[in-house]
Amino acid sequence: MSIAHEVADRRVTIGGVVAALLVLVIGSSVWDLPLVDILTVGAVQRTLRAATPIALAAIGGLYAEKSGVFNIGLEGFMIFGAFIAAAAAWIVSGGGTVTQAHLWVGVVTATLACALLTVVFAVLTVRFEANQIVAGLAVWFIALGFAPFSSIVLWDGVSSPSLPNIATLTVPGLSSLPVVGPILFDISPLVVLTVIVTAVAWVGLYRTRYGYWVQAAGENPEALDTAGVNVNRVRFAAVILSGALAGLAGATLSVGFAGGFTGSGVTMVDGRGWIAITAYLFANYNPIGAFAASVLFGGMDALQVQLQTVGISLPSSLTGLFPYVAVLVVLVLVGRTRMPAAAGEPYDTED
Amino acid sequence: MTKATVIERILIATASITLALALGALIVAAVGYDPVLFVYSLLYGAIGNVSNIAFTLRQSTMLILAGVAVAVAFRAGVFNIGVQGQFVVGGFATAVTILVLAPILPGGLIGGLLLVVVTTVAGILAGGAYGALPGMMKAYADANEVITTIMLNFIATGVVFFFVDQFLRPAGAAAPNTEQFPDYVSLPSVLFQSSSFSVIGFGVALATAVGVYFVMTRTRFGYDLVTSGHQEEAAAYSGVDPQRTIVSTMAFSGMIAGLTGSLFAIMILGYYSDPSTFPTYGFDAIAVSLLAANNPIAVVPSGILFGGLDAGQQYIGFTLDMPSELVDGIVGLVVLFVATPELFRIAGLRAGFGGEDE
Repeated sequence: MSIAHEVADRRVTIGGVVAALLVLVIGSSVWDLPLVDILTVGAVQRTLRAATPIALAAIGGLYAEKSGVFNIGLEGFMIFGAFIAAAAAWIVSGGGTVTQAHLWVGVVTATLACALLTVVFAVLTVRFEANQIVAGLAVWFIALGFAPFSSIVLWDGVSSPSLPNIATLTVPGLSSLPVVGPILFDISPLVVLTVIVTAVAWVGLYRTRYGYWVQAAGENPEALDTAGVNVNRVRFAAVILSGALAGLAGATLSVGFAGGFTGSGVTMVDGRGWIAITAYLFANYNPIGAFAASVLFGGMDALQVQLQTVGISLPSSLTGLFPYVAVLVVLVLVGRTRMPAAAGEPYDTED
Repeated sequence: MTKATVIERILIATASITLALALGALIVAAVGYDPVLFVYSLLYGAIGNVSNIAFTLRQSTMLILAGVAVAVAFRAGVFNIGVQGQFVVGGFATAVTILVLAPILPGGLIGGLLLVVVTTVAGILAGGAYGALPGMMKAYADANEVITTIMLNFIATGVVFFFVDQFLRPAGAAAPNTEQFPDYVSLPSVLFQSSSFSVIGFGVALATAVGVYFVMTRTRFGYDLVTSGHQEEAAAYSGVDPQRTIVSTMAFSGMIAGLTGSLFAIMILGYYSDPSTFPTYGFDAIAVSLLAANNPIAVVPSGILFGGLDAGQQYIGFTLDMPSELVDGIVGLVVLFVATPELFRIAGLRAGFGGEDE
């Protein structure tokens, strides 16, 4: 697709972004909003941290949907990931002092365990042709029940005791550079990991043979089948990848940034899985775009803190709603994203 | 979903519930609790004595109404995951109108009756409007309704909390609660001695289920709604405006959710509060409706079943040293199994039952 086509196709999105920027600039001059005070180094760091779990889950979700399976269970797998990471770190520490190594064990365990859980989801949706939307909702409900349940069994409460966070990577010397120093050289390894995952996902989808298979499985499974590739095997792999990445995304919340698992209400994941779906739809299934969209939603999260620091006092019950409102605005502006033609359709081989 | 006969559906529903409960008991045993005590307590909490039955029926009332709201949308091929938000908004509209109108209107039986009716209508309208919103987003901007309705749930909970907390909380009150409604604004608890359950409420739920069934099977609106769910193209060719149908379906579904909220405010609470502390009827209703194959009449037994599970769960939470959250997980498993009729069909074939088709 040529750039001209791309621009014409995405004119609503592009128009929306341009309009939002205009509102921001006009708003800052008319109401004298101190933009410089809002866009601080701290805000950029908070934005990147808030974007991390959303971007990881979004990239997983887009692979699944590209291959023809709408994994609407991302939110649920993130809840499992957040809980399992905290639980694993706590258990390997013997219930005592949780070290950095224990936290990383938690991250790896959560990723692998969610990959395993997704095998069940993949079997039900691909092999047994479960209604993908209903099964995905079921994953959410199951996680909402079992994560706090397991938390009570383990810790006698729906939340974990407070845990340390994964430490930031600080490059001596470079980190003391102005502006770029703290942003690029005093950074959470999980943010770095997310950037790497984004790049690898982009190359994997658009430049490798497996990536072409994923796209074909979602667009034209018959052709892929005729070419002798097992459609359902490609879908299995993509769905399991999406679960693993959602598990990793959950882990970045509980042992990466929040210092433990919170299981009250809708849990600490708090809708980020649903926001992740919007992120990749906004980006039209492009991993780099999904990362950018996640940064946008992460920025909404960070904005509440920034508004307070510049003295615009909105009740936190309202500022906390920014990301959800942003999701609605994006969904309405983006309009018709072209879904992969065979998404949502189980594929039956003739034999 | 794949087509199935009524008997197949009942079999699938029974198998789903049984399998989910068995898995739940297995997990209870695995983490070192007594599974027999768990199942016994679940049953005792649901139907063990008169007050437990009243509690089951109270939960059933809410779940039947919310379940019908979900079923209406699912029937039309639209996923309304926003019943919880519409329920919160409907209840809020009812609470606000009660608090505003009560000092103006006369008290006593007549005034109470008038207030209940007027404020319930306010709740229904508010819920309908809040449901129409994602309907319009889907119809005119093609925004996925699963995601928009979930976002609108978060927004409803946050905004209603903001209003209750900032404007409706009496001076000096510690909790974000509104003032109590006047005593005469309530439903009399005819059969059961319960301050939060009235047989009238249960009657409203039954009447709604039957009424909606008739609307869907006997009216033009219902016909358009169901055909656009099953056969979108056929509906369009027969002159149904698909966009308008989506909006009116969601509005209709939201109205029933709003009615659920009104009944919750009047019959159960008697004031209004922070919606994040409310029971998640809107989500559980998804399980209720799916188990009932989205049939408004079948929602009644399904709602009673889940009402019993809910009551059993509360009983376990109060009396046993066992995390009652497990029951929420079991409800999720029921949804997962109901979504996978193929699993049971193949299991049935293997076991040698009814393998004539396919």
